[in-house]
Amino acid sequence: MSVTSKSTIETKPRRASPGRWWMKPGHGSVSWLELALLVACIALVVAPVPHSYQDVINITLLWGGVALSWNIAGGYAGLISFGHAAFFGIGAYTSTILLVNYGVSPWLGLWLGGIFAAAFGITLALIGARLRGPFFILSTLAAAEVVRIGALNWTSLTGGAEGLWITPTKSIANMVFASRSAYVALVLGYAIIVYLVSKAIERSRYGLVLFAVRDDEDAASAAGVNPLTARTGAMGLSAFLTAIGGSLFAQYFQFLDPTYVISPELSFQFALLAALGGLGTAIGPALGAIVIMPLSELLRSYLGAAFQGLHLAIYGGFLVFVMLYLPGGIASALERSTGRSKETP
Amino acid sequence: MTILEVDRLMRSFGTLMAVAGVSFSIREGELVGLIGPNGAGKSTLYNLIAGAIAPTSGKIMFQNRSVAGWKPYHAARSGVARTFQIPKPYRKLSVVDNVALNALLHNKSMAAARRRAEAILADVGLADQAGNPSTILTVGELKRLEVARALALHPTLVLFDEIMAGLTRNEVVTMTALVASLPARGITVIWVEHVLYAIMNAAPRIMVLHRGELIADDSPENLVKNSTVIQAYFGEETTFA
Repeated sequence: MSVTSKSTIETKPRRASPGRWWMKPGHGSVSWLELALLVACIALVVAPVPHSYQDVINITLLWGGVALSWNIAGGYAGLISFGHAAFFGIGAYTSTILLVNYGVSPWLGLWLGGIFAAAFGITLALIGARLRGPFFILSTLAAAEVVRIGALNWTSLTGGAEGLWITPTKSIANMVFASRSAYVALVLGYAIIVYLVSKAIERSRYGLVLFAVRDDEDAASAAGVNPLTARTGAMGLSAFLTAIGGSLFAQYFQFLDPTYVISPELSFQFALLAALGGLGTAIGPALGAIVIMPLSELLRSYLGAAFQGLHLAIYGGFLVFVMLYLPGGIASALERSTGRSKETP
Repeated sequence: MTILEVDRLMRSFGTLMAVAGVSFSIREGELVGLIGPNGAGKSTLYNLIAGAIAPTSGKIMFQNRSVAGWKPYHAARSGVARTFQIPKPYRKLSVVDNVALNALLHNKSMAAARRRAEAILADVGLADQAGNPSTILTVGELKRLEVARALALHPTLVLFDEIMAGLTRNEVVTMTALVASLPARGITVIWVEHVLYAIMNAAPRIMVLHRGELIADDSPENLVKNSTVIQAYFGEETTFA
């Protein structure tokens, strides 16, 4: 069939509009908001910030990177996972065990951890191939629990409940730095890479395929897309990037135990950051982490000791507020505030 | 030349024989109507041909290749496109991207796929909706979106499923002309429709399915005189006062 494109086709202007000037500077693909966030992050890395705040910045950027990784499966492919702490833990343990027991540099170990996690993620997606919605979510939760219990009991490898320490022999090869700024810069680099990967997916044909599978699997399948291939790919990539975040976490905190690193709480937190920020866009999880992580960390440090549990109550109240009044997350609320309603891909 | 041959095709759901031994063959470039009362097995027949479900028994030959039990994406890649009776848009994508995804099958770059999608949207009269989210479309527009997506696959055989439902009379006329123009472009069409005046005027050959069996396969002129068909649609002993 040959349908020739007519020059008279009427199309409404695509997305870009004067009402959302901050989304699109010129023809560029990077928005003013994104540029502002990037500059702010770099400033925070370079600026002389007290140590306690550096911890907050570090965890915000790291959790932001992991929430972005989660979003590749949960937001783009619709594979909502409550088991990403398993990938995080696999990454953290792989690089740490290689460093502590075999002297392998974490710069190498993090790749291997990523590959292990990707293999596990692909296996999960294959096993859960027929599961949808809540049933898939439960399968990821269960799989992560299996990993956590495995790590707790395989004491010869993981140290079990006592955990693993990275004794700090400071060297760049060991990814153990003298200054905290170096860690923050490293984690910022990670977050930026995951962000760019996310943007690239959004704009690629693969991204369109993922969105289609997420929105209607039958229709995507009738369009020549093998949904299983799309899902396993998204899960594998998401797991890979999450695991690298895990390795960076281990190098920064220099201590690992399964009860924290592979906990359901951590899995929920990754999902929550992405969902509250806005699913299915790169800016969503980034905003989610930037708004929520400092809030939760600062509340804990200022209120945690004086009023037991108060910080959790305020934090919880804030989350309820976002869910009730900002449906679609912080990103879509920002977009609506400029006076135009529209759906985001 | 025969493009599709279905031989004693059966599919049961538990004790229900949805398709109970259907045989027919379709030549390249034909426009064949497929009608029948609700529950006759039309959609099941489509699902079997397009690979959404596997047959209990029987043969499906597409371009002289046995394809019974293939997957929907195999069908699409081999040139069999279908629409869904209940439209299945990608809800979070724009109208043009809904079609561009299908156009990607034969266009490597996103830009080329979008250009082709826009051309096809113009063909079905949806050009002015291209940049809008698919959620704002009306039922009639969603039906046209289904047609656009099927055509974007560059098919050799297309299975239309009730694409006229919800369309105004003028839209039905335009859409019927589009469907009727497809065989000349090398696209063989099977067309399930309840809007009978459209199909009776456009399709030179119409098959009638009733309770999973093919009860007639004839020209529209002969069908209206066929007592079996009239019985299937209106029941026996119909008296008009």
